Amino acid sequence: MTKVLTVADMTLREILRRRAVLVIIAMMPLAFYLSRRGDHLGQSIRFVCLGLGWALSTAALFTGGAARGLEPRLRLSGYRAHQLYLGRLVALWAAGGLLSAPYFLLILVDQDGVSHGAIALIMVLTVAVAAPFGLALSALLPRELEGTLLLLTVVGLQMIMDPADASSRLLPFWFSREIATYAVDHTDTSYLARGLVHGAVCALVLTALVALLSATRLRRRPHLRFVT
Amino acid sequence: MNDATNDVREHAGEHDAWLAALDGELRRRGIEPGLARHVVAEAAAHLRDSRQPPLAAFGRPDVYAAAVADSVGEPVSGARRPPPGPVRLEARGIVKRYRRRPVLAGVDLTVRAGQIAAIVGANGCGKSTLLRICAGMVSPDRGRVHVHGTLGYCPQDGGTSEFLVPDEHFVLVGAGRGMGRAAAVGAGRAHAAALDWNPAGAGQARLLSGGTRQKLNLVMAGLGDPDVLLLDEPYQGFDRGAYVDFWHQLWRWRDAGKAIVVVTHLLDRLDRVDTVLDLTPVPEPEIRA
Repeated sequence: MTKVLTVADMTLREILRRRAVLVIIAMMPLAFYLSRRGDHLGQSIRFVCLGLGWALSTAALFTGGAARGLEPRLRLSGYRAHQLYLGRLVALWAAGGLLSAPYFLLILVDQDGVSHGAIALIMVLTVAVAAPFGLALSALLPRELEGTLLLLTVVGLQMIMDPADASSRLLPFWFSREIATYAVDHTDTSYLARGLVHGAVCALVLTALVALLSATRLRRRPHLRFVT
Repeated sequence: MNDATNDVREHAGEHDAWLAALDGELRRRGIEPGLARHVVAEAAAHLRDSRQPPLAAFGRPDVYAAAVADSVGEPVSGARRPPPGPVRLEARGIVKRYRRRPVLAGVDLTVRAGQIAAIVGANGCGKSTLLRICAGMVSPDRGRVHVHGTLGYCPQDGGTSEFLVPDEHFVLVGAGRGMGRAAAVGAGRAHAAALDWNPAGAGQARLLSGGTRQKLNLVMAGLGDPDVLLLDEPYQGFDRGAYVDFWHQLWRWRDAGKAIVVVTHLLDRLDRVDTVLDLTPVPEPEIRA
């Protein structure tokens, strides 16, 4: 546990020291929110949640990329692969919580007549999904430019695809539109249930993917034997 | 205050700086501390009596220290070395190809506790690849590596976190080795002092010079006292003094019973190491019809 917390601590320090990036990441959801606040309440809430997901995924993508050079030697220093990716995930989830809290308060103050509990659930699921999504992208696409372009594509598709279309369910943040519909339009609870299941499955699948990719990349090669 | 007094103080400052530099250079060359003190005291007495500027009397401190070192022979640590201990690293029959190009063709390497092995050879001959295979970061096509104990690895570049300060690197690596935060920082700073570097208050790794960043890399490799140290040209960016400090650190590790493998293309003196593995490909003889 000490090793996981040490990695989490150092990852958080790294994130907090990228001040310019932090400002952009913190402001991105606000821009999304304000873009539709005047004319469409539901869209502004959906967009702010997507903005949070995009911002945190980007932070995770760059965090994963920055750790690539260091992780093999940390592995040799006594860390197990799961301690490394869990430490980074814990840090990113904590950063996501810090990023989301002000936006939840903003909606709480600014928007009446919506289900604030459901909006809090969207934010929790968004943070849970975005962190492993960004880390998985960084593991699959080691060059940050490629990862960023793919992230851009996914979030762009998330915004323009019809959520009723079955293929849109393959996108990782589909749940946010479903739960937001329940929260804003007060539809029946099937929207909430579908969104909850989709978000939970995405978070689990993406975390498992990060675990798999990390274990593969940082595996102990069979030619090397430590004799005690 | 008259001009004569100012002149004396100015000379005293010049003498002190030169003597301090001489002391550092003697230490870097592994001159025994008592002898170094004696040499510095003699030089100080000569400067006081002759009233000559030190550069005129002795020349540059590093050149004078080199002359002293040559006159007294090799460092004491090298003269009283115990025999090598048990095998710590054993690589057998390592074969590696990149696409169709053979890089390593059945390479063997054995390093015992208390030995330094140098891997030398031309650019692209597979030195770093062999080290990465020994570290388990790259798989060979054939062959095996046995390590008796724990491994420390220092890459040629990278291997640090841009936004962390040196103490945080020590904490991060130290936690992997089971060390507490204070112990890791203390050990890291002690290793750094041996390389004539004070990491306390140093900025984030991205702001360090190339040579200082490599010192950080080297300190990280040695944290937690691993039994085997794999060092991939770790002196990139070192100035001459730091390069000398680096070899002294290697000798201290060797004297402490570590098995060390260092990739180098700057092996100017073969007596610095115990084993040399030259990976330069042997040209095939021409076949005449």
